[in-house]
Amino acid sequence: MNDDDRIALHARDVAFDWSALPPHWIPGEPFASHLLDVLHLLLPEGERWFVRVFSAALPLVRDEALAEDVRGFIGQEAMHASSHQGAQDHLAQTGLDPSAYVQQVEWMFGQVLGERGLDGDAAQEWLVERVALIAAIEHLTAVLGQWILDARALDAAGSDPTMTDLLRWHGAEEVEHRSVAHDLFTHLDGRYLRRIRSLMISGPILVRLWAAGVAHLCRHDPVLRGTRGSRARLRDYLRASRRGLAPGPLLLARATLSYLNPRYHPVHHGSTDAAVAYLATSPAARAAEGR
Amino acid sequence: MTPGPPAGDPGVHPSRAMRQVDLVAGLAAALAVRGGRRRRPARAVDRSVAVLVDRVRRPCADVVELDLVPAPARQEPASGGLLPGWRPGAHVDVVLPSGRVRQYSLCGDPVERGVYRIAVRRIPGGAGSAEVHALAPGTALTLRGPRNAFPFAAAPSFLFLAGGIGITPIAPMVRAAAATGADWRLVHTGRDRASLPLSDALAALAPHRVVIRPDDAHGGPPPADELLAGLPDGAAVYCCGPPPMIEAVRRAMPAGRRLHSERFSPPPIRDGRPFTVEVAGGPAVPVPADGTALDALRALRPDLAFSCRQGFCGTCHVPLLAGETVDDPAGPGLTALCVGRARGDRVVVDLPRAPSDDDRRG
Repeated sequence: MNDDDRIALHARDVAFDWSALPPHWIPGEPFASHLLDVLHLLLPEGERWFVRVFSAALPLVRDEALAEDVRGFIGQEAMHASSHQGAQDHLAQTGLDPSAYVQQVEWMFGQVLGERGLDGDAAQEWLVERVALIAAIEHLTAVLGQWILDARALDAAGSDPTMTDLLRWHGAEEVEHRSVAHDLFTHLDGRYLRRIRSLMISGPILVRLWAAGVAHLCRHDPVLRGTRGSRARLRDYLRASRRGLAPGPLLLARATLSYLNPRYHPVHHGSTDAAVAYLATSPAARAAEGR
Repeated sequence: MTPGPPAGDPGVHPSRAMRQVDLVAGLAAALAVRGGRRRRPARAVDRSVAVLVDRVRRPCADVVELDLVPAPARQEPASGGLLPGWRPGAHVDVVLPSGRVRQYSLCGDPVERGVYRIAVRRIPGGAGSAEVHALAPGTALTLRGPRNAFPFAAAPSFLFLAGGIGITPIAPMVRAAAATGADWRLVHTGRDRASLPLSDALAALAPHRVVIRPDDAHGGPPPADELLAGLPDGAAVYCCGPPPMIEAVRRAMPAGRRLHSERFSPPPIRDGRPFTVEVAGGPAVPVPADGTALDALRALRPDLAFSCRQGFCGTCHVPLLAGETVDDPAGPGLTALCVGRARGDRVVVDLPRAPSDDDRRG
């Protein structure tokens, strides 16, 4: 843990109004819009799973400062889940039916990554394993959070301000709490090989889910029906990343390599200053302070 | 919502991708159970810091400034007589000899690793501040933290707004801004000239950047637009003071500009009535007029999950089996333990399963 500046994490009571959201929130960029829209389908259930796993892990924590961090983390993740849920509900209202994909995601987080019928010591080891998987995912979300805070191309492209604020508020909180899952894993286990193994498991699963999500959104988008855009292709991703509208493959490769460093700690990746500065201007976070 | 039953209809027909994920997860679970035999249990970590009151100064009639130094037990090679590092805006929990816990901002210099400085205004009728004012040099105290709920992030220029004793977290920020050569301005407001601590020393850094503005010389506290007048482009505003001052600045602050203010713990409960919260199949616990069901239940179940303590995040929302609640943002059939109160004398709630003792190794 970086003792020099331990941020007291807290959930922010944000709210977003989607009534004025255009179908593609990056104008003229349906693929790039949907690439990040996947978050609205994946995260509500995914982050509720984080909350369940971390709530279950809290009784194992024997460090009051870490327990405080975990509680702050849980509240922030719960707000991410409900905020992306709102965006998902809006997508469904506009005629883009996400239910087939969301049902699969819910089944995965509820059944495959749930209790798996284990009890006693086995249940506890599976709990620690899921903490390790979440720590690896949190490394990636912190990298993505930093990316979206810095992604000036989104502003230049005239992106919808409310969606940009949702993603940047979320990204800033991911950067703000980026050490918590790693610190929890280190407290409960911390073995190097297990940390690496967790990234090797969760990284490919995340990529697979993401690709399936983009494909689903493009295929079911009523605006894209009958056009070439209804098929998501790898080259669309590469084009979006070249234009700065998506995190590029090099960024993700570098993120993976940095996790392999035995001295890896999240505090060395990403900028708390950038997160703190964004949260001080974010319309949603500022409004939450007044509630 | 949490940590309730997991979602996902077990009757869903999994896609090919999901069957692959299931296979990998099964493998991970098997590896976890095998590898768990060699996992060392979590070690207890004690982060409390033992300190002694060193120097005591009184910069104003009702403000006491304390220097806290590591207690001798800490002066072993491991810590080298150093206190945990911190950055401007950080605070510590001070455990007073009576057992009361109060949070105070660190107002000294982060570079000085052997001493923490706090400044405390005596609040009329406040037991904690009265106890701090009575502390004599040599008294042993326990600290927890430091942690930072008011982080100081780089900016090309700064406007610091401090109301009264709200100068304490701002003072190290001003020194840090001055040290980096940033453009900065400090406005310190308060009742009268004699009641404003710390800012004279800051004015010595750069007299033209500091405005000390006592209310009695200007016919009342300054309006927020006066405080924000001439705010340079790209400036970050750091504001700490009485809640009405922070709220006024928040309202007057233009959109898209950086406003940082310290977040305070939820306000104390006023006009609450005592009630009883009963756990289904478990004991009934009294909730005092100034306490919450969450705190009452945590005495019994320290592992109970919660987070925001203001009702919105949903972490401590649990099923409400009997009774009605008021001031409760949780949905139908649920109650937010952190804020909901019984309409009558008693509510019955369902709590998530407690981890049994054999679940807790180590």
